Formats: sequence, C-alpha cells, structure tokens
Amino acid sequence: MRSQAAKFVAAARRALADPPLQDAVKRATDTAARKRDLAMFAHGRDHGEALRQQAAAARRRALSRLPELLEQAEAHLTANGATVLWAADAAEVCAHVLDIAARHHVRRVTKSKSMVSEEVGLNDALAEAGIEVLETDLGEYIIQLAGEPPSHIVTPVIHKSKEAIRDLFVQRLGMPPTDDAATMARFARGHLRAAFLSSDMGISGGNFIIAETGTLCLVTNEGNGRMVTALPRVHVALVGIEKVVATLEEYVLLTQVLPRSATGQAMAVYTHMINGPRRAGEPDGPEALYVVLVDNGRSAIYGTSYAEVLGCIRCGACINACPIYEATGGHAYGWVYPGPIGAVLTPLLTDLKDASALPHASSLCGKCKEVCPVDIDLPRMLLDLRYDLVEAGHMPWLWDAGMRAWSTATRSPRLFHSAARAAQIGQGLLPQGRKVPLGPLGGWSASRELPRFARQSFRAWWAARNQEEDRHDQS
Amino acid sequence: MDLPERTSPVGQAVALFVTCLVDALFPATGIATVRLLEHLGVPVTFPAAQTCCGQPGYNSGYRRAARPVAEHFLDTFRDAPVIVSPSGSCVAMIRHEYPRLFADDPDRHAQALAIAARTWELTEYLVDGLGVIDLGLRLPEPHTFAVHDACHGLRLLGLGRQARALLDALENAHVVPLEDSDECCGFGGLFSVKMPDLSAAMLHKKIERIRASQAATIVTGDVSCMMHINGGLARRGLAPRVRHIAEVLADGLPERTTHAQPGR
Amino acid sequence: MTSRETILARLRAARRPFADTPPPGDYLPVAPVDDEHPAALVEHFAARAEALNCTVHRCPDERAALAAILDVIGADRQVLCWDFAHIPLPGLGAALARAGVAVAPPSDPSVRVGITGADAALAATGSLVIASGPGKPRQVSLLPLVHVAVVRADQIVPHLEAWLATVRARGLDAFQAASSTVIISGPSRTADIAMELILGMHGPGELHIVVLEDTSA
Repeated sequence: MRSQAAKFVAAARRALADPPLQDAVKRATDTAARKRDLAMFAHGRDHGEALRQQAAAARRRALSRLPELLEQAEAHLTANGATVLWAADAAEVCAHVLDIAARHHVRRVTKSKSMVSEEVGLNDALAEAGIEVLETDLGEYIIQLAGEPPSHIVTPVIHKSKEAIRDLFVQRLGMPPTDDAATMARFARGHLRAAFLSSDMGISGGNFIIAETGTLCLVTNEGNGRMVTALPRVHVALVGIEKVVATLEEYVLLTQVLPRSATGQAMAVYTHMINGPRRAGEPDGPEALYVVLVDNGRSAIYGTSYAEVLGCIRCGACINACPIYEATGGHAYGWVYPGPIGAVLTPLLTDLKDASALPHASSLCGKCKEVCPVDIDLPRMLLDLRYDLVEAGHMPWLWDAGMRAWSTATRSPRLFHSAARAAQIGQGLLPQGRKVPLGPLGGWSASRELPRFARQSFRAWWAARNQEEDRHDQS
Repeated sequence: MDLPERTSPVGQAVALFVTCLVDALFPATGIATVRLLEHLGVPVTFPAAQTCCGQPGYNSGYRRAARPVAEHFLDTFRDAPVIVSPSGSCVAMIRHEYPRLFADDPDRHAQALAIAARTWELTEYLVDGLGVIDLGLRLPEPHTFAVHDACHGLRLLGLGRQARALLDALENAHVVPLEDSDECCGFGGLFSVKMPDLSAAMLHKKIERIRASQAATIVTGDVSCMMHINGGLARRGLAPRVRHIAEVLADGLPERTTHAQPGR
Repeated sequence: MTSRETILARLRAARRPFADTPPPGDYLPVAPVDDEHPAALVEHFAARAEALNCTVHRCPDERAALAAILDVIGADRQVLCWDFAHIPLPGLGAALARAGVAVAPPSDPSVRVGITGADAALAATGSLVIASGPGKPRQVSLLPLVHVAVVRADQIVPHLEAWLATVRARGLDAFQAASSTVIISGPSRTADIAMELILGMHGPGELHIVVLEDTSA
C-alpha cells in the first residue's frame, strides 16, 4: 500500500472538521479502552501488571533469539507438512502468492484479515492477475466494498457509521434497506457464505507461529478465519518474521493477553492452532498449507534501537488510548498502521522523510506505553525518530534556526535573562485578547490566549528579597 | 520506574530549580514553593545561573542544541545536595532523559546519574522525601478542588498520589473527581505550536471535562498545563481555573503575602 | 543468496536485542480459578459459557442429554455430526435414528445443526477445545447456524494453562497429529457495524453445550 503519511497534517485537519467521524472514532476507542481496562485487570491491578511484565519478557526473549526461532519454526512447519517460503519485500510476497495460485489453478480467493497483506498490496496484485479476492472479515469486507483502506488494525471500519454501512450494502449489494445491524450482518453472512464454499484458496495472516511445534496461530471472532483456513483446497498464511514465539507456554500467555488488550475479551471466539494441512484420514481441511515469512523492512529494524517495536502483538490498545488517534481517526496516518504503533512503524518500514509528520503527531503523553501489553516504549521511540529527523536534515529550516538561537540563548545565563527581559518588554506590543496571526504564534493563538511575561520575574523577586534581608540584617 | 534511586533528603538544604516558565511567566509558583519549604524549616538556595532543563530542544529532536543547555544545568547544580523543582516534566527530563542524552560521554553520564539521584519534584519531595503530608496548612475559606494529572509527572515519575495526599491534608480543601483527569491537556511543549489543531482539539476536550467538574479550581503540578488550559479558557471568555499545587498549598500558610493572580 | 539466506544473515549480523532477558519463571495463569474441585469447575464453566451467550444444558445422565439435543434439533430432519465414537453419548446414534433425523454429509450448507464432542473444556473462560481428526470434520462446528457440543464434566479443566499441561503430559506428537485445534469461546460475533455486538457472523450463531455431569462421582 502506498503511504500517504506525507499528507498527515492536511488529513488530520480534515478529520478534525468531520463531526460524524469524530463521534464514531471517539465512541469506538472509548468503548474499547474501557473494556481493555476491565479485562486486563479482572483479577486485580497487580495481576494485570504482572501479566504485562511476563508478556513483555516473552516477546523480548523471542526477539533475542529471532533467527534461531525462525529456523526452528521452519523445520517444524515443514515436518508438519506445510511449505515455508521467505519473502524479503512486498514484491516477493505477491510473487509467491501468485505462483502458488498459478500452480493450484486458483481463480477465487477468500481472505481473512492480514495487515501484512495490506503492507504489500496483495489484493491489487491478485486482481491484476485476474484472480477474484474477497475479504471476509466483516470490517474488511465493508472497506473493500467502499474502496477504502482500514482505519484501525483490529476494528478496521470504526470510521463508518451504521447508516453509511447500510447505504453501502444497499447500493453495492442490493440489500433491502434496514437500520438493524443484525439484519445487515446476516445479509453479509449470506452473501459471503457462497464465496466461502466456492473459494479455491484461503489467505490469512498469522497472529503467532510457535517455534517449538511449528504451529500457526490465528485469533478471530467471526469465524471467517476458520472458513478461510478450513474450506479451500489451499491455505496461504502471510506472517511477519517477528511473530515467532518460542514455546507453547509463551503462546498460551500471549493468546490470552491479546484479546483482553484488544477488545476486552478473555478469549477470542476462535483461538485457532494449525499444525499443518489436512492429515491422512481427516475428512476436511486444505490439501496444501503455505506459510510465507515476510520481512518487508523488519530485519532492518532488528539490530537497531527500535528492535523492541518488533514485539508488538497488534492488539491496538495503543491506538485506542491515543488522543491524537481519537482526534483524527486512522486514515490520516496514511498507511496500514495508525496511532502510536503506526507513528513508529510507518517511518521505519516505509520512509522517514515521507512520514516525518508522524513522530511529531504526539504530545508524548505516554498513554500508549501505559496500556501496551508488552510494555513497548513507544514514546521513547517517537523521541528517537524526532532526533533521527533532525540529524537527517528533514526538519524545516526555521526550526533548525530557531533551535540554534534557543540553544545559544539558553546555555548562557546572561543571554537568557536578557532575552527574557526583552520579551517581557516587547510583549506590550502584542494585542491582548486577540489572535496573533504570526507564524507559530498564529497556530497557538487561534484557540488560546498567549501567556504574558510577569512584571517581576521569580529571580528578580528573589534578588529583591535577598537585598531586603541584607538590609534587615545590617540594621 | 527504572530511575536512579534517591537517598533521604531530610536535613539537607534545597537548591531550587524554578524552571524557565515559572521564572518568567508564573513567578507566583516559585514564590509559593519557597514559602512552603521555608515553612518546613528547609533552607532554600537559588543558584542564579540556572536557565532551563533543555526539554524544548530535546523533545523536538534537537539533542545537539539541548546538550549545552543540559550541561549548563549539570554545572549549575553540581554542588547542590538536593534539587527541588515545581515541575514534573522538568524533573522527568532530568531523571529520565539526561542519562540517555549523555550516554556517550562517561563523565557527563556519571554527573547526570548523580544529579538524577538528588532531584525531586515538589510534591514527591514533600511526601516521599520528607515524609510530610500534613504541613499544618489551612485555607481561609472552604474551597473545592480537582486534580489534573500532568502527563510526564504521572507516567514517568509516578506522581499523583502525593498531590492528592497533600490536598487531603489541607484544611478547608475539598477534593472532587475530574473526569479523565489523566488525559493529556494537549500542550506537549512545542507540539502545541507544531500541531496546533490537534493540540486545540485535545485542549477542547480537557476544558469540557473541567467545565463539567464540580471543582472551583483545578490543581496541577506543571505550569505548562496550567498555562495551556487557562489560555484556552481565556480565549472562550472564561476565567482562569487552573492553579499550581504550590500556590494552592501556600494559600494555607499562616502568614499571608501578596500572591499573583492565576494565569499571570 | 536466497531471500531466506539474506534475511537470516541480516538478523544474525545484527546486534542482539534483549540478550540479557532472564529466562521465564513460572507462568501465572492469565485467568486463575479459585476453586478447582470438579463440582466447582462445572459451575464456573457454566457461568462463563453463559456469560458468552452459550446455552449450557447440565445433564445428570445420558437420557437428559439426548433429550436436550433432540430439543435443539426440533423439527429438523437432518444434522451434521461427528462420528458417534467421538461423542461421549453412546446412545446418540440410536436416538437420532428413532427421531427420524439423518446425519448429512459435512459439506451440506443447508443443515442447521451440527453436533460434536470436545477434547476439553476450560472453566475459566467457558471455552471448548476441539481438535480435528478422522471422524471429526472441522465443518461440523463451523458451517451450521447451531453448534451443539457434548462434553463430560470430567473433561473440564481450570484454564488454558491447565490444558497445556495435559498436552505436554500426553506428548506433543498427539497435539501435532491434529491439523487443526480450535478453542471456541461462544457463538461467532462481530462488532464491526458501529460497535454493536452481533451474534452469529460467519460461524455458528448459537452454541449449545451439553455437559454430562457424572452423578456417580
């Protein structure tokens, strides 16, 4: 998917001026955040914090052994009867999938949710090859009908109201108009049922791969994940290389922390462990299972100070907690991953300069780190990315100049105090109570009064008090 | 919190790091801090060479620009036995970020760690450092307060418990909840200038919560939040409503001095 | 170099992150259960499953279980069903035959009810563990609108961690022998339409759990 992150500021402004979007996003994130709190701390604050620490340690351990675990996973996947393929970049992922489709004479594909497939633009590649692709996760199905990208990694269509979805179904699917969500869902179910049953190939993502057993793990609520991986003759799973976990114990921990953190569920409705294609004697299941291990920029992150972002389990809790996401919704971030995780991943996986607005789209409030179930220090990485932007010369020259001036003035007490005095005097020139459309001040003063320098600074008060006391002592 | 451990500051003189915003814009907060410390019999000094902790440059990614400013801080406070500051964000900068900023310079790194082990935000200094919650303060009139948790202090230093304890012990102070008290006011330093629309949207939400609160005054530990929120209130034609906790507590001191109006 | 070699080489050449992370201690159960006595587990399981909108039929004996199942089947003449050997109700085949209910091929999309057993049940979350295998088509618990699962009370373990312990005890080969093991927690659902919770998306919309309680325990 081509990144539109460079348009973040304009997109954010549009989002801020869109009340229905604001309402929809706010309602969705408030609900999700509240449920997450209840579920993560259902057995007490200490228990929940201990889970976070254990989950964080599990991810860090796995990352510290990533190449070994990948080889172990590959060996066991292969022993289980799966074919393991490696893809360095987006083009290679698409090439692998098209190759598999050709070999198996695939004409129709059903897909369950895969953010990796969005990264690499797989649906477009399949469509270009004349292969019909149907998204089956209801949210993904809706945005596919609407021709839009997802706005959230767990709930991809929170930016759409019920009415908007209704209109979409009426126009594109011929649904009899209804405002009942259950009726709409049933209509979609009926529509997709035929597709499930006639699909040649199912494409899924992968939440985890357990290295010790070569088990591919998926969590879904709708059942489309099972449909896509049980019914077609071929199943292809696209999994980022960072999704490998070492042991069943780690998996058991993470597969319970994930739904709690994402939607407040103790377990996803379907927690699915796949140990290979259909076994001899089994009545159903795919004949062939392919697991594509996707790099697409991850190995480049691995040895850097950003490595810990590879521990992300894609729960979306940071997105739900972020005030900037709440204000803008997901599309403004311009790529696959929105919110705090997106603000870090998009510059790292696409292009730093192109995504330069994203690390600055944060007040560094720290809420994301507070809710992350694996304790990823997103604020630290946002700060580091800001530093990278400066060092790479990607900041506006006005900022470079301004910071040089600030540094010069502030490291010297004499200069600093003179500057403060000058500002104190100079502020008399600025109108009080009115907007000041002067560069950076304009942005502030559109909605806030400018602060005023005090008539007597603290140091002046201190000095005067000392003089007074000296006089006192002398008398 | 993975921060350098501190020893008890009891019996030590305090060097006040008043912060650049307080010095120039909100001196009443600094004055109140001094009055509170002196009320407790703590000797207070004010190293006059102090300027700024360096946050504005550091948080914008300008570490080279911030470094000399931070070095100046280290030099200014080198001999201070205990440093107290009425700002969670500045203390977070010193304790949390200075070690990272100086990671490549062993001498400065050691200095940063040493200073981080002697630096306290005001409320944690009182409650955790001195072990004092009840300063024997009494407001002249009953007054209702709510606490807005400034982000850096809350999430990087674990502040919040201390301010609430101090308010509870303040006679005639009645504390009520503020919905979403731990949500960011939208200031974020230069974020408010770089992304003003987003900052304003967050401020709007904070102001709505404040207007819905039963509290007459919102108390916070960072003048930056105070400045941001009061600035937004003023733009809406509303009276300032946010005060720094030092000033609120100082209102309860036995001797009264002239206090500057909130927001000035 | 193949992509495999390139990727692995790049990972190996990199500075190892988190190299000093300590090995795991004991994993605390994510969902601890206070009382692990069998009777308490059944109660806990039933409560959690019902909270997920399952219908739990607690049956003191086989007769009650068969009656409950026939009640769910209602007037249908066909069901999907695992091989009877894998369902802990020896009389099920005969009962269906007597009621004139035929077992349809698993891929028949018109059948409303699917009947399975389970490998285990988890009290902490009201979940069923269902592995694929000969005589146990995946589709039976997936395609129909109504899923009926029969589980013996003694198959209920406290939580997922306890289930994992049984997997290890049995040996991982047994676990890997099944191409698919799914842990089912409630009927399928979605909240993608304006965050409204809707039951019955692509998987079953009704989940009936027949718990055979061992009265002789």
